[in-house]
Amino acid sequence: MATDFDVEFIEDTEREARFLVRGITPAFANGIRRAILADVPTLSIDTVRFVENSSVLFDEVLALRMGLVPLTTPEGEFDEDDTVTLAIDVEGPATAYSGDLVSPDPQVEPADENIPLIELKDGQRLEAEAEAKLGRGRDHAKFQGGVAVGYRHLQHVEVGDDASEYGEDEAQIVRGVIEDGDELVATSEFGHDLTNRYPGKEVTVEDVPNAFVFHVESDGSMPVDELVLRAVDTLSTRADELREKVSL
Amino acid sequence: MSYKCSRCKRDVELDAYGGVRCPYCGHRVLLKERSRDVKEVDVQ
Repeated sequence: MATDFDVEFIEDTEREARFLVRGITPAFANGIRRAILADVPTLSIDTVRFVENSSVLFDEVLALRMGLVPLTTPEGEFDEDDTVTLAIDVEGPATAYSGDLVSPDPQVEPADENIPLIELKDGQRLEAEAEAKLGRGRDHAKFQGGVAVGYRHLQHVEVGDDASEYGEDEAQIVRGVIEDGDELVATSEFGHDLTNRYPGKEVTVEDVPNAFVFHVESDGSMPVDELVLRAVDTLSTRADELREKVSL
Repeated sequence: MSYKCSRCKRDVELDAYGGVRCPYCGHRVLLKERSRDVKEVDVQ
């Protein structure tokens, strides 16, 4: 079943993207969504060795907070059992931020530098070594590369006659992306209200079959486009595995 | 230095005969200090 998909970007930044895919079934669209959430391996802190922790938080709580810091994950550089050891040493009075985690590998760094880990008061100190390993979102949420991943049907808009003069002035709310002729417009551009874009017109909205608009946000482990490509790769790898297992 | 007196803040060694009492000031409240060992924690 080799069909071509039509992919079109509406919005594409490092952390967030919105793109339209035509010619896929709802099941496949959901498969992609789930793969983005659960199947893309990313690096996260998994073991922490505390040398000194005189802060007010327990070691376990602090370790969990460090685990949730997203780390940049270069593609193809790491295998399943590889580890990267980061170090942190902060002395109060100061706040320990994710940016204080020092990495030996410039490719592996906290994706955001301003996540507060703990506020240290005078005389308190945090010194620890943290080991990051590769994992998947299905094992722990800290390994999720994609956050806020979702999709909607593409909405086709048909502009009809003038609306009746004495009709009700009700807002016509649509969320997602509309297709007006050949033009793709995100509904946020006109406040999600069709009466702003087509004042005084009758407008009908319909779902376009097998066309889905994905909205994907990355936690910073990797750019969104790479995240989606890796997710689709894991899907096809698993499909191949299944085919091999079934055909004897 | 396994305990610290909560009143005079001095390190206290306890033995089997002295009971729970600071030998310097007689205070009966002693605090256990955190071990100097490196502690390994799994992120779960």
